[in-house]
Amino acid sequence: MSNSNNFVFKGLQVVAWIIFVGLCIEAGALIVNFIFSFFNPQVLHNLYQKLDLSEMYTHNKWIFFGMYSFILFIAIMKAHLFYMVIRLLSKFDPSKPFNSFVSDQITQISYVTFSIGIISYIGRQIAKSLEHYGYATDNLNPFWTDSQAFVLMAAVIYAIAAIFKKGVEIQNENDLTV
Amino acid sequence: MPIVVNLDVMMARRKMSLNELSERVDLTLSNLSILKTGKAKAIRFSTLESICKALDCQPGDILEYDKEKTNP
Repeated sequence: MSNSNNFVFKGLQVVAWIIFVGLCIEAGALIVNFIFSFFNPQVLHNLYQKLDLSEMYTHNKWIFFGMYSFILFIAIMKAHLFYMVIRLLSKFDPSKPFNSFVSDQITQISYVTFSIGIISYIGRQIAKSLEHYGYATDNLNPFWTDSQAFVLMAAVIYAIAAIFKKGVEIQNENDLTV
Repeated sequence: MPIVVNLDVMMARRKMSLNELSERVDLTLSNLSILKTGKAKAIRFSTLESICKALDCQPGDILEYDKEKTNP
């Protein structure tokens, strides 16, 4: 493996760690807010990143909990996705890339990415339909702006996973060729 | 697999050990062991040639087709 390749992988690992920590902070803050909102609805004016869902809560608290569950699920799944990326990058050996761990991990990453995309899309559609009933859902938009990108990314990753699966088979066959 | 490797039979006939064959055909012991135990998925012509040369035999003496043994 060349030095530049090694450098790129180390760089990617560092970037993945930074993003993972950021996403963990976001998911953690949203979880804490969620727990607090059960006992003290006054905090709903100033949730994570000045998110204000007090109006939604006063309209219907079940809709608030439903929509909050969507953004919480997406945040947790994004953190989980980057945890899987870190695991993949830490165990990935560019000189011998085709092994069952890498193949399985890439397949799982594609499933998680697809789940994030689909849940984001559903959340966005529900938020849109809630607007017709007088709910202000504009401040939730940053949580699901990139749903199509995640679905597209899942498709690309799935294709890569299929290539890796075939690569593992060929590698195994090659290893057993004398 | 219906292809049976009779390498151990030929080695016994020639009274040759795995270590000696490994040195003569320039293959690692683990690769020879894979071949001997029937775990190999394929064999290169160059490997077959060097084994035949070392054991003074024909490819048919090493490989055999047994239709009773089907793929798992």
